[in-house]
Amino acid sequence: MASGEVRPEDGDLLLRARNGDRAAFSELVRAHQNEVYTLALRLVADRDLAADVAQEAFVRAWRALPRFRGEARFSTWIHRITVNVAWSQRRRASRHRADPLDESFEEPVSRDLSPERAAESADMRRRLLDALGTLSDPVRSVVVLKDVYDWPHAEIAAHLGISVTAAKVRLHRGRRQLRERLWQEAGVAR
Amino acid sequence: MSLRCVAVRLSLPTMDRVAWQEGRLGRHATSCLRCQAETARYRKLHRSLEALGQITEAAPASLLAGVEHAIGGPPVESSPVRGRLAGIAAAAGAVAAAAAGTAAVVAWRRVHGAA
Repeated sequence: MASGEVRPEDGDLLLRARNGDRAAFSELVRAHQNEVYTLALRLVADRDLAADVAQEAFVRAWRALPRFRGEARFSTWIHRITVNVAWSQRRRASRHRADPLDESFEEPVSRDLSPERAAESADMRRRLLDALGTLSDPVRSVVVLKDVYDWPHAEIAAHLGISVTAAKVRLHRGRRQLRERLWQEAGVAR
Repeated sequence: MSLRCVAVRLSLPTMDRVAWQEGRLGRHATSCLRCQAETARYRKLHRSLEALGQITEAAPASLLAGVEHAIGGPPVESSPVRGRLAGIAAAAGAVAAAAAGTAAVVAWRRVHGAA
């Protein structure tokens, strides 16, 4: 998962936030907002909607904080909420189909990439984001959660309210569509 | 395209991260140029998707303000000093309001008492 960093300071902030300290919660938002926004953006492929999803996810987290027992890390918990919010908001906004992400691609905020990953060109990344944006919402959600965030099939299925088999079928379809869109456009023989 | 090629093409989208890392490909896929090219495309797709997970984009500046507004205004710390200051301010306000009320009643009585 992208939010693999351990943030020991979250513990104290969480404790204070659970007691109603809004400043502590703001610190948590500040610390996690980029990752939450990025996850939302990958899921909904629309920047405005992703911002709405991220905001709603944090608001829901604030309301649910008294029930948060700390069994999972805060980052894991807020990611799960984000997936749920994205899924419900995307269904609501399904009539308003977003254009594929063709905006100028922003460089990473800060991440240490392995040489192999760093070698992946920005052009390939942009094309991949475009291709992801053309997938249907149900298919894209599974591809993003499995191949980008490495969620287990069972967890993906549970969050999206589908069977594990259905999740695997969507994943297979999504990968095949991505491959077709990425290399068909480049004129590579199939 | 042989039946083996078709079988490889059908299996490639089902391969997970571990399968790619372990190089679980049949003998045919490693010897057929066409299948090698197809395998390379899927491998690149996997790497690119995985790399996306390492990239974080900057949230819009309005996100934090939006959350703070939604959860009830700007952040308020549960600081004892702030609590005491708020209490003193509230008490001063109450005293001022009471004094204003008393003055108004006295003024009203003077006017109506004189009449």
